[in-house]
Amino acid sequence: MAWDLIFWVICFFINIALLASSFYQLISLSDLEADHLNPFEATTRINSIVLPEFLVQGFLCLSFLLTWHWFMFLFTVPITAYHLMLYLNQKHLLDVTEIFRDLNTEKKYRFVKLAIYLLLFTVVLFRLVISAFNSLHDEVDVHTY
Amino acid sequence: MGTENPGRPNFPMRPSFTPFASAPPTVRPFSPSGPGTGSESSNFRPIPPGAPPTMTPFSAAGPSPPVRFSDPSVPSAPIASVPPSGAPYQRFPTPPFPSAAQAPPNRAPPMGQPPFQPPAGQISVPPPFFRPQTQVLPVPMGSPPQNANFPPSSMNVPQPPTDSSLSGPRPNFQPPFPGYPSKQPAVSQAPSPFPAQQGSFMPPPASPSPFPSQQGSYGPPPVSATLGYQSRDQMQHPGSAPPTGGVQRLTEDFSSLSVQSIPGTNDPGLDNRSLPRPLDGDVVPSSFLEMYPMNCDPRYLRLTTAAIPNSQSLVARWHLPLGAVVCPLAEAPEGEEVPVINFASTGIIRCRRCRTYVNPYVTFTDAGRKWRCNICSLLNDVPGEYFANLDATGRRIDLDQRPELIKGSVEFVAPTEYMVRPPMPPLYFFLIDVSISAVRSGMIEVVAETIRSCLDELPGFPRTQIGFITYDSTVHFYNMKSSLTQPQMMVVSDLDDIFVPLPDDLLVNFSESRNVVETFLDSLPSMFQDNVNVESAFGPALKAAFMVMSQLGGKLLIFQNSLPSLGVGRLKLRGDDLRVYGTDEEHILRLPEDPFYKQMAADLTKYQIGVNIYAFSDKYTDIASLGTLAKYTGGQVYYYPSFRSGIHGDKLRHELARDLTRETAWEAVMRIRCGKGIRFTSYHGNFMLRSTDLLALPTVDCDKAYAMQLSLEETLLTTQTVYFQVALLYTASCGERRIRVYTAAAPVVTDLGEMYRQADTGAIFSLFSRLAIEKTLTGKLEDARNSLQLMLVKALREYRNLYSVQHRLGARMIYPESLKFLCLYGLALFKSVPLKGGYADVQLDERCAAGFTMMALPVKKLLKLLYPSLIRIDEYLLKPSAQADDFKNIMKRLPLVSENLDSRGLYIYDDGFRFVIWFGRMVSPDIAKNLLGPDFAAELSRVTLTEHDNEMSRRLMKILKKLRESDPSYYQLPYLVRQGEQPREGLLLLVNLIEDQMGGTTGYANWITLIHRQVQQN
Repeated sequence: MAWDLIFWVICFFINIALLASSFYQLISLSDLEADHLNPFEATTRINSIVLPEFLVQGFLCLSFLLTWHWFMFLFTVPITAYHLMLYLNQKHLLDVTEIFRDLNTEKKYRFVKLAIYLLLFTVVLFRLVISAFNSLHDEVDVHTY
Repeated sequence: MGTENPGRPNFPMRPSFTPFASAPPTVRPFSPSGPGTGSESSNFRPIPPGAPPTMTPFSAAGPSPPVRFSDPSVPSAPIASVPPSGAPYQRFPTPPFPSAAQAPPNRAPPMGQPPFQPPAGQISVPPPFFRPQTQVLPVPMGSPPQNANFPPSSMNVPQPPTDSSLSGPRPNFQPPFPGYPSKQPAVSQAPSPFPAQQGSFMPPPASPSPFPSQQGSYGPPPVSATLGYQSRDQMQHPGSAPPTGGVQRLTEDFSSLSVQSIPGTNDPGLDNRSLPRPLDGDVVPSSFLEMYPMNCDPRYLRLTTAAIPNSQSLVARWHLPLGAVVCPLAEAPEGEEVPVINFASTGIIRCRRCRTYVNPYVTFTDAGRKWRCNICSLLNDVPGEYFANLDATGRRIDLDQRPELIKGSVEFVAPTEYMVRPPMPPLYFFLIDVSISAVRSGMIEVVAETIRSCLDELPGFPRTQIGFITYDSTVHFYNMKSSLTQPQMMVVSDLDDIFVPLPDDLLVNFSESRNVVETFLDSLPSMFQDNVNVESAFGPALKAAFMVMSQLGGKLLIFQNSLPSLGVGRLKLRGDDLRVYGTDEEHILRLPEDPFYKQMAADLTKYQIGVNIYAFSDKYTDIASLGTLAKYTGGQVYYYPSFRSGIHGDKLRHELARDLTRETAWEAVMRIRCGKGIRFTSYHGNFMLRSTDLLALPTVDCDKAYAMQLSLEETLLTTQTVYFQVALLYTASCGERRIRVYTAAAPVVTDLGEMYRQADTGAIFSLFSRLAIEKTLTGKLEDARNSLQLMLVKALREYRNLYSVQHRLGARMIYPESLKFLCLYGLALFKSVPLKGGYADVQLDERCAAGFTMMALPVKKLLKLLYPSLIRIDEYLLKPSAQADDFKNIMKRLPLVSENLDSRGLYIYDDGFRFVIWFGRMVSPDIAKNLLGPDFAAELSRVTLTEHDNEMSRRLMKILKKLRESDPSYYQLPYLVRQGEQPREGLLLLVNLIEDQMGGTTGYANWITLIHRQVQQN
């Protein structure tokens, strides 16, 4: 059962990373809107973490599939598919020249993603707790007998 | 006809019609009574002699009788039906209308003056209710007995009915601004105040109209019940429905066209000649400036409607774009230059909160110690040095010495707080393609020669910096150090990792290295004349130029002759694929292919480099990608397809010279501020946004305009007036940092009709065209056109709904007088190069280049491009002696219909970018011989127009020169075409006669019918 615990711990950290990335991108966009950041810097910042985020998210999704966590897999696969679509259309990066025109859509897109990650976070946390509880319980059981 | 109106016998005495200054209704179309019509004269209620004479813009003093206003075909109409009453002006306490005949020149520009609207003060009076009651006030005035009837507050003019009694061009005249009584122009006898009158449509009288610009259009009809004018629909159509005998008892303040197509036929039921046409070019509504005389000149800032809606619901009903068009450095005529103010130690006076610059609309209070910001109403302290006492009326006593407090356009000298770095010298960098195609076309020669000839006129002497890079499959740098006798060329062939071989001296001060630069330019054509390299390492060369320039910023001129084929940024021959058209992929062809271009454009902007692209290829060069560089750096695209120096040399020479020598602003940023409650939401043009509302413009000049749309942030605006302030912070060529500030005020209105009345067609189409072009970048051409058409239809439908309740509109198409060209320009935009047709109609590169160009064009230039002028010149050329004033007559523009092309004539078609000179089939051989010299019989595509040694040829050249001078931003190259010479005639001219029905496109009359039908379908 230790493997299960380890798996959920990893998922937990990946999830935190995803949350952080989304949050960071959102903050950068708000900063841009409020004129605390110039578009060049904002897009460089955001674009530099877009691909890592995609990869990490893809990894998470894949690992759910490989570990036969069907529910979790189905939960994450839509975002992976969406990321893949963006990447294949070469639309995953922000366009610095037109960023102000796309600002609202980009923000909305990241808000939705943030919400989904948060939901995922609660589920993962829940599973982590259960798995931790189970493993502890197992140990206790072992000791009892 | 001519019914009396017993229903309203007492109008003239309406007490409400008191002093004009406060009299709300303003527009009083002039309606002379018909000639010798007894019944007609009864319409004009006799005025009791003692009755207070009311307003008379067409007042007395006119020595010439009103005959002048009546239809020329009915000359000498005796108009007077009322004896002059005494004391004509007694009711005007305020400065009465000066009895002078002419309106003050500043408010009656010679060009078509759009009807005037009641200003803010009157807006509260809901016009629809108002109009029917405020009836015509016949005014006996002045020596020649005369009747002027002025249906109030409509800019319209009674529509001439079919009978002659009321026919005749009627000026829409309206005292410009009741709020400013002292300015009431007295309009009177001379026709000159109405030269531009183009009302709605009656076929022009057979006899030539004395009003030069009144071609075929007459003032729209406010049909006034009291006058017993016939209702509009009856007069519309001679020969259509007979008058129903009814009298429309309403004053209409819209224009209309009767559209009654006979089902099953193709005949649109419209008289082609009667349709409105902008034959005067761009007519700037003057009302805006009259209402707020301290506003900046409309050449700098134009609003799509000078009446700002007060609620979001009103905005939603205004389906046209709501916004502004700014041309920040428009060329001012001699004597009207923007004053430069140096606050020196005081610092520039700005509002603490919203950073508005001090302007004529701020108010000083507290004995001059405080000033209230007009945009955010914050009370600011007046700095000690700026303090001045207030006089009894609350005005500062030093007002005359403070241009910033009396003028809407001023320029401040900016202190060091406004500089991120010390002002950089003007920098011109040239990136020249020297591959074989460039050599063959002769482009290099022309470019080198032109640059050399412009060296002395480059702005910013003696600080100007200059540098060159040439490239084919390698990149060549030139060391121009002043100590050298001739430039040193360095070749870098490592394209993957381009580097600059020399830290400096690639960019030199021109005045120091003048000899080297001149030697270089002299030898440039010969250096590469044997070059057989076909490749083009455009991307690496661009990067190299960027590296060289990034310290200083400046202007980068790129001369590109082929598709970039090597290194980063190389482009595929993606070409124009017929199969792609009509699919969702279509727009991708019009977008940059490689993200390199967008990224590069962003970097260039960041380092204050503006790019102008000159493209010359006869093959596909992917202007869509190359032009992106210009688009986001505030530059422009010049496209010379299949350039041959022998043919297009002059055009390139002129345009490059203009580019190099025109006054340019460097390192500029522009922001437009507006009052609380409204906000500019989107910006359209060639620039990059630095923050949500800050336009970064590495270089700006007088040929660039920017459009923006605004929206309401609050559901309801409570203020009476909104203010706009454009501020352009830039480095002048002389090295001074300056701020150009334009301030304008506009009234807030509650009435949609008022918004329509104050609409500015030019600004609307400037925005429309930009929106439509942007739409072609995200979707199909057809979608862009459809959305445009939908907007037109919605706008006209909304307008129709405003009036459909009170008026019997029948089969009439109605539209506001201010937007009478809405349909025509809409059609023209449909047929403009960036939007028209599909695959076969325009080459992709041409379409993209035109799109980039139109995104930057100032309003006037755009309208000229949309509706070019067509001028007949053979008569002038044949005239034995030419006088100067002949010239004016000659410039009479003709509607763009092929019927107008007489095969005995010689015509010039001028769209601002090129001339097409059309020789009729039966044009006298003399003319052809004189103009073309010995090759007059040759095929005209091979003939170039040169001046020959005879009067006729000289005259033609003079005409061309005059036409070019009217707008020097582009050079019109003459193309000669003979009637029947297909396919050239079709391509050059016929396809551009936008009113004609040409292969799949709609003609003007059919277009009106189409729009009308859609307007009626709810």
